[in-house]
Amino acid sequence: MTEISTELALLVDVGSAWAKAGVIGRVRGRWRLVAHAAQPTAWGPAELRRSLIRQLNAAGDPRLADRYDELLASANRIECHTARQPGRLAVVAVSRELSGSTARRAAEAAGWQVTELVTLDDGRSLAERLATLQAADVDAWLVAGGFDDARSPRALEAAALVASARMPDGGPVIWAGSAQLTNEVMLLFEGGAASAVANARPDARREEPGPLRDRLQAILRQSVAPEDEAHLSTIAFTHAVGAIAADGGLRVLAVDLGARGGVRVVAEADGTTSTTVHSSGGMAGATLMAGAAGRVARLAGDAGDEAAVADVLQTLRARPASLPQTPEELSATQAAARMLIGAMVEDPATDPVDLVIGAGLTISGAPHPAQAARMLLDGVRPLGITQLAVDSGSVLGPLGSLGDDEIGEGMTLLADDLLLPLGTAVVCRGGEPGDAAMRVTVHRSGWPTPSPVEVRVGQLLVAPLGRGQEAELLIEPAAGVSLGAPRRSSRIEARATGGAVGLILDARGVPITLPRRGDDRRAVLAGWRDALMRETERIA
Amino acid sequence: MHRVRLPVGATTLVEIGHGVEPAEVLATSRPPGGGTSLQVASRLRRSAAEAVDLLSVRPGTVLEAGERLAEDGDGREVLAPYACLFLGYDADDGTALIAPLGATEPILGHVRGEVTSVGAEAIEIRVTGALVAGVGGSGSAVHGELRMAVHEPGEELRAGAIDVGATGRIMVGGSRASAETLTRARAMGVAGIVLGGVLDKELRDFEATQVRRREVGGVRGDFAIVMISGFGKVGLDAALFAWFQSHEGRLASLFGAAARIYVYDADPPPARRALARVGDRVIAHRRPFAGLGGELVRVLDLPHATPAGVTARSGLVSFEDGRSAIVPLANLEAMEPRDGG
Repeated sequence: MTEISTELALLVDVGSAWAKAGVIGRVRGRWRLVAHAAQPTAWGPAELRRSLIRQLNAAGDPRLADRYDELLASANRIECHTARQPGRLAVVAVSRELSGSTARRAAEAAGWQVTELVTLDDGRSLAERLATLQAADVDAWLVAGGFDDARSPRALEAAALVASARMPDGGPVIWAGSAQLTNEVMLLFEGGAASAVANARPDARREEPGPLRDRLQAILRQSVAPEDEAHLSTIAFTHAVGAIAADGGLRVLAVDLGARGGVRVVAEADGTTSTTVHSSGGMAGATLMAGAAGRVARLAGDAGDEAAVADVLQTLRARPASLPQTPEELSATQAAARMLIGAMVEDPATDPVDLVIGAGLTISGAPHPAQAARMLLDGVRPLGITQLAVDSGSVLGPLGSLGDDEIGEGMTLLADDLLLPLGTAVVCRGGEPGDAAMRVTVHRSGWPTPSPVEVRVGQLLVAPLGRGQEAELLIEPAAGVSLGAPRRSSRIEARATGGAVGLILDARGVPITLPRRGDDRRAVLAGWRDALMRETERIA
Repeated sequence: MHRVRLPVGATTLVEIGHGVEPAEVLATSRPPGGGTSLQVASRLRRSAAEAVDLLSVRPGTVLEAGERLAEDGDGREVLAPYACLFLGYDADDGTALIAPLGATEPILGHVRGEVTSVGAEAIEIRVTGALVAGVGGSGSAVHGELRMAVHEPGEELRAGAIDVGATGRIMVGGSRASAETLTRARAMGVAGIVLGGVLDKELRDFEATQVRRREVGGVRGDFAIVMISGFGKVGLDAALFAWFQSHEGRLASLFGAAARIYVYDADPPPARRALARVGDRVIAHRRPFAGLGGELVRVLDLPHATPAGVTARSGLVSFEDGRSAIVPLANLEAMEPRDGG
């Protein structure tokens, strides 16, 4: 008997709470994702392999049934993983609302976990602040405060507080406050311990967190996470998104919403990328956002009252490797995801893109593609005409860990399984409630041209456009309605590609405004949910 | 290993190898009060910028009364007017910011064990108690005798169960305690509370009232809460509840913010394992079965969709309240038998 041979590769993404793995193999001459499993990381690699083997035994070539274990053991393994320990930072600032919030956001966007935030207006006594900072177990210190046009004694006091609480050699100190105080602040610390960066809040009206974020990212890489960078999920995910952008000549926004952290990547058509890592921007971080429970309850509409939602958000923090079991919990989780994506995209603000990619189990593992589309659509609010897709096989991270010379080949091999296209969204803003926002004519090659679809302000409609289908769009925005780009004509022609959801025509505005009355709000939210689900189910 | 962080200038009172008790003083410190300015440059007859080079101390140095803070080498010096912490020097106006030290305060470890290291930064202690880890908590480190406050693991801890006998104790409640109950417990001098779960909103309400009372000086003494199972009305696992019952009266340490409990002279608590197998006693962690125990009867061959629609590897659980349900394995934890049998 002739021995059957096959080639397999194993893609593994080990997260802080969930581990995902995919097996790619040659099926009828083409490379396909032939098995995929996601499980709590705590279950261990042996269980992950057993899950894959179970799937391969059920769906793979029966002649290989006894050999999958051996084949997986010898398969080419491509892996990425979350940083083993987040960098822990203490932030000391003059005011909670100005320097404190700016410093905190910059630190979190650089991937640091802010374990202590002390501000001189936090209501604590000096002794309490000192005690708090002396008890802080951190890898670095960030001090901020004072505007650049003045020498603020309070800012110097903030630096002195750190100098008093921190032990010698107790980690690097970054001064991001008044430029006029830099020399004095440097003298407070032993030689080489402190460094200065441009004030992230140079005056009351201006916020310039970029240089601070870059410095913090560099320190994080040097001092806390000197791991093999290529295999770090944040680096690998960015690499893969850059490759997709370059390959398609597209401007791409990708959000990876993990159990604990979140990553936002903007990739230009030439492949250059900019990444912000939000160490507390994952699902577990939802409960840390101001007024989170109330906001999520409002956004979800059907997740229960604020108290019930607060418990769900705490559960996401306490048990990040568990799954929503009731529809209310799922609704709260997905509304929290929309809120977290919104926060990631806001800071810094993102210009229009051609493609939005969602990754992370909450998005890519959503029970229904319409739910994934809604998380991206409501979270990002991509003004204009944008394709939506999800990393349903969790392959972007592992693929991104390949070298520049291999990633293109990997993407080509996985062409059909690289991303799950959800469809195309046309999002506009402006107009008066109830009035027409835009008329859209959808022309598909070989089909009779239908009448234009009128979309009213506040309305969400879905037109059928399945995976692999394309359509020419003729969009006529009403007066006062914008799709983002400056208009030269009253008509916009564009091309749309289909997907698991279809063509989404969204005139709900940017940002979305919801009715104040609870009953009205719930009715509107249910209407949007049903509009997305109905057409998707019809396509399916 | 338990780590007790020491403030700058603390005086340690223990050595490596020393056996410590929860109430034992490991070190002392003199917490600083509000900062005040002390003229430096003018006393040294130098400019503010020049005087910075004449300082004898660095920020964080503890100075006794009369100890030198700066000198010019020509006989002029600036001495600490009282025991203080030197915080920093303002090169703009030539003043030092100092914080007077208050009365000596003890630093307790709140644990029983053996000191394994003593440093300027921290004292480390190998704890000799049984550890129970929770999923959340609030408050500081406390210790006291364990006392059961409810009869059933799913019973709510009511304010009426807190009486004078609870003062200084660590109360073990059941599935929930209201903000009123927590407030009464604190007012009655209860050291801490262990619960299966608590509504996040009620915990936040309680914390908010404590912050306000602290601001007006109305709160004294420490208090901690630890939740074992989850958030919401979630009971304690029956086996763990029985373990607490069997250790009523034993000394315990509670670390609220770290969500940890140590119980001394105790058997090991029921251990937990992430991946449950058929025949295991399990506890569920998500609604509608959160906190409920049962037995994993069967693991389904194919992934199963929850009522929410999430498809996952799942198993059939026969719960102790008589219900049976298919639950994602990710939402279950296996309880290891205590004797390993």
